[in-house]
Amino acid sequence: MMISRFLLGAGLAVVMLVCGTTTYVYLGTKQSKVAAPAQKPTAATPRAQALTLPGTLYLAQSGALYSLSAGRFHQLTPEAGWTQPSLYPDGSNLVAVKQTRAYSDVYVINRFGTVLRQVTSNAAPARNKDTGANHWSFYPRLSADGTTLWMAYDQPKYGYDVVLSIWAMPLGGTVRQGRLWTSANDYTGGDVQPLPVRQGGAMYTKYSYGPDTKLISQLWYTSRAASAGRALTTAAEDCRTPALSPDGTQVAMICTYEKQVSYLTIASWNGSTLGARRTLVSDQLVAQPTWAPDGSGIAFLAPGVAAGEFQLWWLPKAAYSPPAPSPSPSPTPGGPHNGPLPSPSPPPPAPPVKAIQVTTNDGFDATSPLAWLG
Amino acid sequence: MSSVAGGLAYFVPAAQTALEATGQVIQLPSPSPTSIFTSRSPSPSPSSVPGAFTVLLLGSDDDSKFSADHVLTQSMILVRVVPSTKEVTMLSIPRDLYVHLSTGGFAKIDGAYSYGGPGAAIATVQQDFGVHIDDYIWVGLLGLVKLIDAIGGIDVVTSNPVMDDYYPADIYSGWPYDYERVAVLAGPQHLDGIHAMQYVRSRHGDLQSDFGRSQRQQQVLMAIRQKAKQLSPADLPAISAAIGGELKTSIGLSKVAQLLPLAASFDNPDQIRQIVLLPPYTHGDGPDGSINPNWNLILPLVRQYFP
Repeated sequence: MMISRFLLGAGLAVVMLVCGTTTYVYLGTKQSKVAAPAQKPTAATPRAQALTLPGTLYLAQSGALYSLSAGRFHQLTPEAGWTQPSLYPDGSNLVAVKQTRAYSDVYVINRFGTVLRQVTSNAAPARNKDTGANHWSFYPRLSADGTTLWMAYDQPKYGYDVVLSIWAMPLGGTVRQGRLWTSANDYTGGDVQPLPVRQGGAMYTKYSYGPDTKLISQLWYTSRAASAGRALTTAAEDCRTPALSPDGTQVAMICTYEKQVSYLTIASWNGSTLGARRTLVSDQLVAQPTWAPDGSGIAFLAPGVAAGEFQLWWLPKAAYSPPAPSPSPSPTPGGPHNGPLPSPSPPPPAPPVKAIQVTTNDGFDATSPLAWLG
Repeated sequence: MSSVAGGLAYFVPAAQTALEATGQVIQLPSPSPTSIFTSRSPSPSPSSVPGAFTVLLLGSDDDSKFSADHVLTQSMILVRVVPSTKEVTMLSIPRDLYVHLSTGGFAKIDGAYSYGGPGAAIATVQQDFGVHIDDYIWVGLLGLVKLIDAIGGIDVVTSNPVMDDYYPADIYSGWPYDYERVAVLAGPQHLDGIHAMQYVRSRHGDLQSDFGRSQRQQQVLMAIRQKAKQLSPADLPAISAAIGGELKTSIGLSKVAQLLPLAASFDNPDQIRQIVLLPPYTHGDGPDGSINPNWNLILPLVRQYFP
């Protein structure tokens, strides 16, 4: 009798321990996972059912550069401040930014992430303790002939007024050989995202104070160094991040209309002006639209879930350039038809083509442009 | 019973932190002799709209430059919530606004908290702006960083590149008077706590200085609210453990529980009004670098949106 009581007590204690622990663990599993860190792209390849994008795409996450090719990610650099990759015109190498807490520099790296050369030297001399003696270089792009490096660079700056301006310098030279192309507005953050164009000069994003005194962004184009250039978009549109289509006839950008929204917008480009705007995606926080080199669509970054980290998305060309209608039926063989022709029944409306989410938990750097090799 | 014990073990640390941080008693200082003559609304009464309430959000640089009990409030935002119409109004009060303090005398409004804690900050805003404040929430620098990290970061469309060569390196640096460089690039992005803090705190690169910073603070507040909608009650222990000691509020636990589902129901951005007291509501040239209020314009505005 005594033994059975003891066993009963011990059994109850075990049950209580198990129930208590199970409840504790169960509640832990009910966390929303909103704070779960993003996975490395190499650990979380695109979903099995995801499409394979053409060519090789270069992206940044947590200070490392990755390539995505044939549906698989490869880490190119360690997590050491790497961001903003951009391809050589012939696709042989990349230029990219390596950012520290005090400065950032442009480097040439090969397609496997090996550093070939440091292009800029923006660190202040060791003896100079003034933080303002350092410089930033961001958004590197090469000219079509691959000899000129375009970038946003914080020179000139005056005390607290630190603005980025568009510079062009010989890729094999130094910043001292470079030319200041734009005149950034004071206390705005300046001019960024240069995009050299075939006609010469560059399209870029300029920040300024709008009519309502709020800071806004506009696409600008300038064909000559130190010239004023001209605005391509209005202040109210609040557009930035230009990307030129492979054939050079269209520009993709994001427009925010001074709100916490970000619409993927395209417009035709004739080398001088932008045509009518067309909004392709308006229900997501779109960043870094990038045209596929084969013209098959536009990739961009946007949160995978509401208020989440930025994932890779793909918008097929059919979303903005529907296939041409099928030719009208040929005349019925067997001679001329007498009487009224039967009216062809209209084809059923095609379902709208939506953007496809390619990655699910990668958390890409949404301030880093994508580079895409065909 | 053991399941209940397991549940208690899970939530008790959060409850303990919450009990310490919430339900803070507000001690309103007795009015100074001069305030009897200058107070614009001697006894602001609670709002007549059923269920509506007003909260004063306070943010402080609480690094080691300051004594823990005597910090300035770099950020003061009045938030009025009308649950019945799902309307939210946010009004940023410039930290350099030259006002009559509830503790006596005239000074920049950011000093009110330093002189008399949350009670003095509330009393000062109530007497000068003629509003009734139901509750307050105070958060320190590190608290905001930890809160944003604890909820997994926030999505913000940053308005412009925020560049600052002389940003205070006072949170993690051993020498709180040091400087560091900041470059928060523009556009849609996912911000962690440190970068969100840099975005809302930097003011050197903004022509509108504190006013521009106020607009960015309101953007980040909205982003935090957006992210909070994704949370579940099971997240509370981790969040409270992260921000313990860096947040204080007079809102009691029971009211917090009522407010959480309410926050999720405010979805229409057109019903969220954001106000910053730019000129002509204020103008410079106040004593000691302060900003002078234009009460003739401010008070009608406040009466309209904070009745």
